[in-house]
Amino acid sequence: MSALHIRHLYHRYGITEVLANVGLDLYAGEILALVGPSGCGKSTLLHIVAGLLTPSEILVQSDFRGIACVFQEPRLMPWKTAADNIALGLKALGVPRDARRRQAIALGRRLGLGRDDLDKYPHELSGGMQSRVSLARALAISPDLLLLDEPFSALDIGLKAELYHLLELQVRQQGTAVLMITHDLMEAVRLADRILLMAPDPGRLVREFALDRPQETRDNLWVYQTTAELLQVEEVRINFGLSEGTLPPPPPNEHARHAGCTV
Amino acid sequence: MIWLIRLRDALAATLSYLWSGWGAVASLLLFCALWEYGAHVYGDLVLPGPVATFRQLTHMFDSGQALPELLVSARRALYGLGLALATGTLLGLIAGRSLTAAMFSRPLATLLLGMPPIAWLVLAMLWFGMGDGTVVFTVLVACFPIVFLGAMQGARTLDNKLKDVARAYRLPRRMLLSDVYLPHLASYLFPAWITALGTSWKVVVMAELLTTVDGVGAALAVSRAQLDTATSLGWIVAVLGLLLALEYLFLEPIKRRVERWRTETA
Repeated sequence: MSALHIRHLYHRYGITEVLANVGLDLYAGEILALVGPSGCGKSTLLHIVAGLLTPSEILVQSDFRGIACVFQEPRLMPWKTAADNIALGLKALGVPRDARRRQAIALGRRLGLGRDDLDKYPHELSGGMQSRVSLARALAISPDLLLLDEPFSALDIGLKAELYHLLELQVRQQGTAVLMITHDLMEAVRLADRILLMAPDPGRLVREFALDRPQETRDNLWVYQTTAELLQVEEVRINFGLSEGTLPPPPPNEHARHAGCTV
Repeated sequence: MIWLIRLRDALAATLSYLWSGWGAVASLLLFCALWEYGAHVYGDLVLPGPVATFRQLTHMFDSGQALPELLVSARRALYGLGLALATGTLLGLIAGRSLTAAMFSRPLATLLLGMPPIAWLVLAMLWFGMGDGTVVFTVLVACFPIVFLGAMQGARTLDNKLKDVARAYRLPRRMLLSDVYLPHLASYLFPAWITALGTSWKVVVMAELLTTVDGVGAALAVSRAQLDTATSLGWIVAVLGLLLALEYLFLEPIKRRVERWRTETA
């Protein structure tokens, strides 16, 4: 089974430490949610996993080969039609023109984009449509690890529910691993198998919550109740500024310089 | 089937483009009316009217006097412009990729831009003598900074977020150029190229007036010496007409095609 293991991840911008001794595990077919207030280094962590940032120190082992990233904003190429945007990753992989166009159209249809929508340029599409194109671009390369940086935060409830469903389908059918950032606790409770709580200054993991109930049996009532229960947890309250108090500092790094230790 | 639709769309776009030319035609005709009024006030010797000018221009074409001179000037302008476009675009892109190079070259480009072409012309006459080289060189140095600044600006302003997308999806180097850099750059390069085109013609006529024995500029010098205002105006109209035709029938359609992702569909 493919997996990603990270240990002793440190990252500094100049002298500010943004991530301190972060470690996590992620397995195929699992949704892992990173939850925390703004500025706690969630996005930095995601960018490191995506390979867009080189951390100051890291010990990492990963069998994931196809990594796709969905950013907070759709970030579509404004000079490409929706179909060509979806096919961007396929083009980079060297898929011939006709084949990638066929795949883009098929995928677009699955995500509720019509044929004429696919021939439009991004500025002609609504925000919701752009988000679908952005998600389709990521799914097009059949990733085994999908990174999501709050992709649903600007969408209306109906569209969110639709895309949640698509995401669950992808995970169940393809066994894709998902690492998602959100600051919507309810979203995390609805989708994730495990929730990692992150705290700022410096960015670190504070606690992990496992949600054992299968996604398809999570109804609204259960989601509300579980979210409410989570909000009673002391660390969560302190972290989101709902209660006074301090969180424990990051664990000290026992291997100051790791020379060949295995994960 | 899809090609038929594309063809139909292209045809419709061309027609609507030509139709949108009526506004430009109206504004030009209004200008001609003012010109005609001026001709009535000042008389034929000082300012021949548009009708007299166009009659003279037709005569110049019929007698075979105009075309060779225009071709000579066009050749010089295009040589200089071509060199400026090639070097300016290339160096601008390189400078735009690095902050240091951009900081370093920007004041130099501004300096070049501010230097009057006539000063370059004097230097060029000293360096290259009275021939094609002088004219082409002057056009090159007058157009280069315009193109250079445009290209540099384009390369500097590419959104970092799009670059991240390109890296996250592992776009190969060639695709980075063709799918990310060039489409973005085109919208900076085209306006710069159009400005450079206008500059090249202005400079070519000026340089020829002072240095060469053939070309439109030299012909202007002759007509000035003979106090032949109608012929002078004829030459000016010929150059302007050529410029308008190049810009609106050649560059503008290309620009629309390249930038169709910008235009709102009605």
